[in-house]
This record gives sequence, structure tokens and C-alpha cells, in this order.
Amino acid sequence: MEFAAFKTLVVRAAQELGIADYELYYQTSEQAEVSTFRHEIQSFSSAVDGGVCFRCIVNGRMGYASTEALSEAEAEQLVRRAADNASVLETDDPVFLGEGGQSYQKVEAPEVAMPDTETLVALALKAEQAIYDAHPSVTDGCSAQMVKQRTNLAITNSKGMDLHYEGVLTAVVAQAVVQEGEELSDSYEVRAGDLSSMDLDGLGRLVVDQARAKLNAQVPETAVCPVVFSPEAMADLLACYSVVFSAEKAQKGLSKLQGKEGTLLAAPVVTLVDDPFCKLSPLPMPFDAEGSPTVRKEVVSGGKLMTLLHNRKTAAVAGVSTTGNASKAGYDAPVSVRPFNFYLAPGDQTPEELMAGVEQGVYIDAVNGLHAGANPISGDFSLQSGGFLIEHGKKTVPVKSFTVAGNFYELLERITAVANDLKLPGAAGVTNFGSPTVLVRELSIAGK
Amino acid sequence: MISRTVCQRVLEKAVSTGADYAELFAERTVNHAVNMVDSKVNAVDDTLIAGASVRVFRGLRSVMASTVDTSEAGLLRCAEQAAQALGEGKAEISICLQERLFGDIHPIRIVPSSVGNARKVELLKEGYFAARDYHEAVRQATGRLLDVDHQILIANTEGTYAQDRQIRTRMIIEAVAEINGETQTGSCRPGRRMGLEMFDTIDPKTVGREAARQAVVMAGAGYCPAGIMPVAIDNGFGGVIFHEACGHSLEASAVAYGRSQFTGKLGQPIANPKVTAIDDGTIPGAWGSINIDDEGTPAQRNVLIENGILKSYMVDKFNGRRMGMPSTGSARRQSYQYTTTSRMTNTYIAPGTDRNEDIISSIEYGLYAKQMGGGSVNPVTGQFNFAVNEGYLIRNGKICEPVRGASLVGTGSQVIQDIDMVGMDMQMDQGMCGSSSGSIPTNVGQPMIRVSSITVGGR
Repeated sequence: MEFAAFKTLVVRAAQELGIADYELYYQTSEQAEVSTFRHEIQSFSSAVDGGVCFRCIVNGRMGYASTEALSEAEAEQLVRRAADNASVLETDDPVFLGEGGQSYQKVEAPEVAMPDTETLVALALKAEQAIYDAHPSVTDGCSAQMVKQRTNLAITNSKGMDLHYEGVLTAVVAQAVVQEGEELSDSYEVRAGDLSSMDLDGLGRLVVDQARAKLNAQVPETAVCPVVFSPEAMADLLACYSVVFSAEKAQKGLSKLQGKEGTLLAAPVVTLVDDPFCKLSPLPMPFDAEGSPTVRKEVVSGGKLMTLLHNRKTAAVAGVSTTGNASKAGYDAPVSVRPFNFYLAPGDQTPEELMAGVEQGVYIDAVNGLHAGANPISGDFSLQSGGFLIEHGKKTVPVKSFTVAGNFYELLERITAVANDLKLPGAAGVTNFGSPTVLVRELSIAGK
Repeated sequence: MISRTVCQRVLEKAVSTGADYAELFAERTVNHAVNMVDSKVNAVDDTLIAGASVRVFRGLRSVMASTVDTSEAGLLRCAEQAAQALGEGKAEISICLQERLFGDIHPIRIVPSSVGNARKVELLKEGYFAARDYHEAVRQATGRLLDVDHQILIANTEGTYAQDRQIRTRMIIEAVAEINGETQTGSCRPGRRMGLEMFDTIDPKTVGREAARQAVVMAGAGYCPAGIMPVAIDNGFGGVIFHEACGHSLEASAVAYGRSQFTGKLGQPIANPKVTAIDDGTIPGAWGSINIDDEGTPAQRNVLIENGILKSYMVDKFNGRRMGMPSTGSARRQSYQYTTTSRMTNTYIAPGTDRNEDIISSIEYGLYAKQMGGGSVNPVTGQFNFAVNEGYLIRNGKICEPVRGASLVGTGSQVIQDIDMVGMDMQMDQGMCGSSSGSIPTNVGQPMIRVSSITVGGR
């Protein structure tokens, strides 16, 4: 059944059950993906998924229910389930549905052509060949994947809201595995954007160079020393710790930033931006999961906490306006809070200039296991890392099998320089994280 | 869910361009959860997932298409899409489906989807308030009682027509404690492949108390020192070390493509002779258990490593073709939208012969990792990490003060050589394992073990 027909049935069921305030959030995505192995297409998949989330206000509380089965029988069940789920809630949080008739910033999305399957196949094989051609040490473990995805979203409610969004994304994933003697090393890159104009040869050389650079890595000495994070590593840290800027977490005591607006929280070189319209993002977004208009904002400016990220509920609790950061982890998830494109604003120095002053330190270009080794509530982290030693201001030998440990709040205070090479690595969705190269005065390295 | 006749037609369409194997997977899943924070029920999650996918193979090539339209017409369209993507050719195999029946080794007594919200709220509150009331330092907690009712149907051109209903229940309590301005967390998250009868054997109060106990101990702890030292890792979730350091590298999805450090090592010694490791999907009621895997193969008990010798990989049908090996009942996917691949079920290091007190007293200076957190691994290089949620320093063979913020890192092929003592009291614990075929429930487990030398990431 089409969404429009299903919606009519749901609205009728809501009316029959005496429910006046409700919203339907409908999201579908079509995705196709090809991946190569040994100069052939190894797999092709095409998936259609998505569903409808219905939420309604019953006795001042918001109940949710979701379904992927758009049928007559499910329409009424969906409404009944949501109402029943509302009835057991105990929270006194204010509840909102978005107003119709709000105005939204126009999105300048880059034009992306949706390639057909034959084109995806040809491009994937070309990308894989570029990896093989980059160096003789490349093994059969390497592969290229091409992905295309079209996402449609609609929010429609009993207050006249009727919003639609379509996002188109194409991306390549290149993975290189190289071997020298018994040692294997790998690297991968994700690039979103127009596939036909992408430099696949350059991408192949890049992943192979990155994988080769990690061969013969040593375990560094245990030390407390300056650490330089690559844009990739710092973006991963920000992705993990961005939740501390969520007003929802703060209000529940799950972030240390509750009530800290207007105070100094980081070094003066630190400015953190959330920009839904960031030019480096493949999917700019004009409205949030509650249908509020989105807007660029500095969350931290010159080290000072300017605002937390809000949806309408957290804003009402704090007595401020929403920052347009309502978010859902999936179509069926409750409305929460998340940034769009959250990044550390770039400075003036080149990465080489930034590193020039470091006599002895570690350059970290990968941090792993953030879901386990980084605690967003305490801020503590201890993370398996990879990278290079810095000696006399320059990257030298590769290092592996060590950890970098510290505390995110302390790290923000200890950032002494930010370079000018802002990247949103692997940006391939609505929410992305970014950073330039960053120098941190002192962190703990555990190696040998 | 879908009749044998319709499955037959769909498979015939799927092989119409020359596939040598086709499979239909259909699913109807209800995910339900009651959530608490600030001592109040704040959200109920409630989602019906329904869809299907068709997979076809020709030689070493696979195509998958999925759909939310499970009507006959919708399934036929999906099959046609898969067949067309495979290329041009004509049907070369005939299909005769036979209902495959197997014993249900996980009978469910109290089906969660047939129990109202009120009872679930009651159970969750028992666990939740046990955490809040445990100690004055506990200043916040979150709680979640979730149940999953996952019905699957698999039909394939080898004649399989099989259905299974996988019901799971889990309680998750996380506590936040603050002592002298230091905030730390603790969690306890037991789950079973059972209905609500799970709480006949697991008292919700013990779940809340355990989460709070960890948070309070860790809020009073200093930082863990950094360096290389011997570590005693306790049973239960400690088994995550094998899961990350070795398990993922034994999955066909890595081995078949030369992306594993253990490719080509069958029959060779890869671990310390003290190590025997098993992946067993048949343990009654266990979180990672299945009657059949997501390709319709009955679950098996697979001995992966026996006394240090590599005995078996975990293999699914597609990757098995490349390896020349039959399926080991290891094919799993989160849902119909993901392409099935080889995964773990309940994976553990088997009991050994060492006594726990001997393991501790053997360590002059090192770490006792009582509770582990999650981790991750790069199967290509074998470099892994995992977090120590509750650790204590060991001095002169005695467990001393608690330490926080530690993680353990190393290389899989090295660490399984360095497991040189294995205790007797094997226990399992529950996790969600994320990989290319999505997030699936798995058990990890082990008795207490000693790793003779490993990098401890502290500060």
C-alpha cells in the first residue's frame, strides 16, 4: 500500500479513537551496492526499507509505534499500540508537535546523478584496478564498493505540517590490503559525491600509500607527551563525544555541561560549529526530526560554551528556543538530539607548521573501539591507536598497538593549535563529524 | 508466513536467468522495549519489521534484493530484480521444496509480545530502583527491558522450507555514581533466548545492584597505570577477548578473502595448548542460540580451536563456496535488509585446569580485569582493543585497589599464544555484535584466564 493511502487509514483510525494530536513520520530508502573481489563483481545487493512511525499525545504524554507493514489491518493497530504505549509513561516532560507553515532555508544540494547498475559495476571494477595498479605489494584482499542511495522523508501531522525531503547519495569505498613478507596491512577510504567525476586512480594510490605507510610499525614507548591528531582521528573523537553537547543528556545528568553555558570550557583556539548546510556534507538538511528549521550555530566559540543542542522539549525545559537539532536514530526511534555537521573550526597554520614545534610526540591517525574505550559520561578514554612518531617536528616511523588515554573535557582545554585542513572524513549521511589537524599539549601513551 | 507454493514460484523466478542457487528469506519481527530514566518510565519503543529478500548465486557471485512488499506479486518482482542483476541465461535447476522440521530446543513459556506493558514496567522498576537505592552516590540510572519476537522463513533451491521463531528478552540497567566530583558508570545487561520466564532465574534486583556496585566502586578508583604487564581476566564478559582477538578473524567473511591472519592455518597450532575455544549455537535458552541459521542450516556446536590447534572456521554457504567448505550453521543477519554472512553465536574458551587463586597469586604486579566492556578488531592485522570496566591492581599475588580507565590492546595471533593459564569456572555473558550483516545477539564466555603479557592502556 502506498503511504498516502495508509496515512488516510491511520488518520481515520486516530479520529475514531478520539486522538486529536498526532504525527506520521515516513522514511524509505532504496539502496544498491556492488562490491568487487579479484577483478570480478563478487556481490550486488539492492534493498528497499523504511516504514512509518506514528506518535500521538494522550493525556499529555507522547506514545510511539512504528511499522514496516503498510496494510489496512496495521493502520488501526499502529494507532492503538501508540496510545497504549503512551498510557504507561510517567514522565512530565512537555510534549510538542511541529506547527505547519514554518519557513525553511533553501538547500543548495550538489547535483548527483543516480548511475544505473552497469555504470556502478564498471566504476567499481575501475576503482579496484586502480588499487591493484598502485603498487606490487597489493594483495587480493583489496576491494572496491560502489553505493547509491535515495532517501525519502515525510513528516505530516495534525497541526498542518506537511514536509518532504529527498536526498540522493552516491559513494565509493576503497579498501587496500598490502603484504610484505608475513605482514599484512590495510587501509580504506569512503568518498561520497558524483562518481563519474571522481579521481579513482588517485583514491587507489591514496589507500595503498596509507596501508604501506603502516608496514613495519613499532610499538612506541610508554610516555606522557604532545599528541597531534589527524582530521580523521579527531573527527572520530568528536563523533563519540558530541553527545556531551546534547541538552537531553545534560538535563538528565549524563553530561557534565548542564548549566555551563557562557563558561570557558576549552582552549581559546577551540570553536565548535554545527552547520546543517555545510558545503563538505553530501546531504544538507533544511529541517530537523520535529520539522523545525535548521540553522548554523557555534556551540563553542573561542573556548566558551555558547549553547547546548536542543529539540523543542529540551528547549522548553531550559526556557530557550530549539536549536533545530531534533533527531531520530532511525525512523522508528523516539525524537532525541543530534548535531548535523559538527566540526572543529579550522585555524591558519598548515599541518606541517603545526607539527614543526613538536620535539618528541605522537601523530595519531586512527583511534579504534570508541564504543568501548571512550566513556561519554565521565569523559575518560583509553583508545587503541595507530600513527607515527613525531621527532624534531616531523612524522617519522609508523607506530601501532598502543593506546592514547585522557579525558575529553581535559583534552578540550589542552588543545594548543588547530590547523587549516578541515575535513569531514567519510561524510556520507545527514550527520557527519569533522576536524582539521589538532595539537594537544599532553596525553598518555601506553606502549612498551 | 508464506506458503510453500508461493515460495516455489518465487524461487523459480529467481533462477530463471541461470542462478545455481536461490534463497527466499522472509521475516516478521516485533521489537519492543520499555525505558526508564530519572526514576520514571520515559519511552516505549515498539516496531514491527516485515519484509523479505531474495538471494541468488552463480559460482562465486551473489546478488541480493530486498523488499517490504511481501505479497506474491511483490516477492516475484524482488526475485526478478535479483535474477536480472545476475545477468542473462536460462533456468538450469529444478526445485522441490520440502518442509524441514527440527526440534525447538528453546521452548518459550511466557511469550513477551502476549504480555502487556504493565507487567514489563513492574519488572523493570524492580531492577531500576535496586540500582537507585543501592548507595547514596548513585545519582542517575537508566533502565531498559526489551523483548524481540523474530519470526523467519527460509526457502531455497536445495529444497529447504523452514521456519523459526526466535524470542529474546533482555534487561539493561546503567548506573551513574559520583564521589568527590568524579562521575563513573556501571552496567549490567543479562539477556536470554527466552520469554519473560527469564526472570524466574535472574532476579531483576540483582541486575540493578550489580550496575550500581560497579559505578560506586569505579567512582572511588584512581587511574590505571600504563604499560605491559600480566593480566588476569575474569569469566563472563571477559570472553570478549576471544571474540575480538580471534573470533572475528575465524569468520569466513574474513578468511575467504585473505583478510584474516588465520587464512590457510587449519590444522596448525595457532594458540597456546591451554586454549580450546568453541562456538555453540545449540545451547538451550542462551542469548546467541538459534534453532536454524539464516540460511536454514541447523545450528551446530563448532570446536574452533582444540588444545591450541585450529580446527574449524565459521562458514556460511556463499563464502563456503570460495573456501571449498560446507556451512557450519553460522550464517546470520540482523534482518532481511542485510546480506547474510558468517557470524558467531555463543563463543567461549572451554574450562581448563587452573584454580582462580593460583592465577591471581602467580602475578607479582599486574591487573585483575573483573568486568570487561566491549571492544573491536581489525581482522586483517589482528589488532584489537577492549575496555576494562572494573579493574584492580595485583601486587605480590594479591588483589589491591580498584583502577579505572584501562583498556587492553594487542594482536590476536599473539594474545592467544599468551593465554597461559585457564581456570575452571566458565561463564557466559551477553553482547550485541556489529558487523557487515548488522547487529546480532552473541554470547561471549570463558573461565578466568591469565594473559602472560599485554599492553594495558592507562595513564
